[in-house]
Amino acid sequence: MLPSVILFAFFVWEPLLENVRLSLYKTVRYEPVAFTGLSNYLRVINNVDFGAAFRNTFLYTFWSLLIGFFVPILMAVLISETVHMKGLFRTGVYFPNIMPGLGTIWIWSYLFNPGKTGVLNIILGKLGLPAFDWLNHSGWTIPLIIITMTWKAAGSTALIYMANISGINPDLYEAATIDGASIWKRIRYILLPSIRGLARTLLILQVISVFQILYEPMVLKNGGPNNASISLMMLVYRYAFRDFDFSAAAALSVMICIVLIILSGVYMRMTRKKEE
Amino acid sequence: MFFGKYREKTDGAIRGFDMHSPKARIGAILIMLVCILMVVICLFPIVWVFLASFKDIKDFTVNVTLLPAKMDFAGVAKTWNQLKFGKYYANSMISVAGCTVCAVIFNGLLAYGLAILKPKGYRIVQGLVMWSLLIPSVTSIVGLFRNINTLGMSKSFLPIWLSFGANAFYVLLFKEFFEDIPKELLESARLDGCGVLQVFQKMILPLSKPIIVVVAIFAVTAAWSDFLLPYLVLNGSGKETVMVKLFSFKDTPTNAVSMLRAVLFSIIPPTILLIIFQRQITDGAAAGAVKG
Repeated sequence: MLPSVILFAFFVWEPLLENVRLSLYKTVRYEPVAFTGLSNYLRVINNVDFGAAFRNTFLYTFWSLLIGFFVPILMAVLISETVHMKGLFRTGVYFPNIMPGLGTIWIWSYLFNPGKTGVLNIILGKLGLPAFDWLNHSGWTIPLIIITMTWKAAGSTALIYMANISGINPDLYEAATIDGASIWKRIRYILLPSIRGLARTLLILQVISVFQILYEPMVLKNGGPNNASISLMMLVYRYAFRDFDFSAAAALSVMICIVLIILSGVYMRMTRKKEE
Repeated sequence: MFFGKYREKTDGAIRGFDMHSPKARIGAILIMLVCILMVVICLFPIVWVFLASFKDIKDFTVNVTLLPAKMDFAGVAKTWNQLKFGKYYANSMISVAGCTVCAVIFNGLLAYGLAILKPKGYRIVQGLVMWSLLIPSVTSIVGLFRNINTLGMSKSFLPIWLSFGANAFYVLLFKEFFEDIPKELLESARLDGCGVLQVFQKMILPLSKPIIVVVAIFAVTAAWSDFLLPYLVLNGSGKETVMVKLFSFKDTPTNAVSMLRAVLFSIIPPTILLIIFQRQITDGAAAGAVKG
């Protein structure tokens, strides 16, 4: 047990504290040289890109709730209601999830290719529609990135919901049917309320994970067009590994961490309530 | 036939007896079609990569078609050699093997301690582990990178292997599993004179095979896909993994078809894994997260 605790300390806990320390110092390369208090934080907040990154991170969260939250629930309900080829459906929707994230991002960059050889534009052409700019269209960048993320992640979330749905006592449906409830009413008043607790938990987890979105916008558009998709974590990455400004990177990490800790606190309280 | 099977349906709001009404029958068919559509959407991009990788470069840039005019196998082989993917595959294998071993051993032992041995102060450790489940490593990458450099472990596989030994999610999976093992079983073994180590070896290990398989599969795919830490640690060391190579493409212009083929090479191993372990993977994915 002890070696594992040491590993956790080295890989997870200590780096967090290290971040806090670095963020309060002026650094040269990796070494802290002088205590500067909160000036790193001010420097980060006053950075020209901070406003955009901050706003975008919330936009990502917003869109992921709008798209990413409901799609898996819908998928789970629909697949639960089939009897044929269920195994194929389950594996099929899970397939994108097991693909390496980096690989799928590159795939989508081909699909979203704005030229006439872009795959989605070919499909649009076949349907007789004009080609589209996709990711180069700054208003569309974030929603489209969220769609690619949903495409990848929805299947695994749907599997969790499905496990939950199949745990509902079938007597409930039978009783409701005897009382004259239609299929739709059974879904609305029995199935959906049963997964509400789980949905709330997954919602928080989703917010936490989207909040640290990093490589999707970085690989697809490098934060562009014109900072339209830059995220807070991307800013951290730029500070640390492009500008080698570790104290600024640490300061921003700490700020992100504080937000995540608050969200986690909310999550913990909710799960505890559920257990009681 | 088609509707008859609904009688065996044990979950969901639509029951077997609904199939008498024509409206429910149409509904069932519609749901079926939507599900097929969903799977097509999920699989289309992946299938497309498989097909488009066999286009040659002229076919790819000029022709406005989804399917290749003819399969260019020689071209794919050439790209494999040109980009030295054999080497990256070998590196990835080394990395994945080490990560998986670390993931199973270290997280398993920690969970064993938390779930069964419960030494003094285990609650503190448990609380810390649960918190780290929610604050993933990306935010601490700066501090971690500094630590690794201070210890002089950069440009080696070691930190990457060990990083998989500290995964709160795997600990949780193991812990839930161990807690479900009946206490009486372990106690009777104790009474028969087994020491702590013997109990672990003779009872826990054989019983835990299914959970070890699940964690191992998760660890294999996660290690294969992991790129941020490997990129920071391994880039430029000659030990780059497939993902590190793929990540570095973002800064180096490459022709579209080679790039696409590199993506193809990167998704083949997980595809094979999923096809072999379908059941374990889909079941494990659902079971683990419900409890978490």
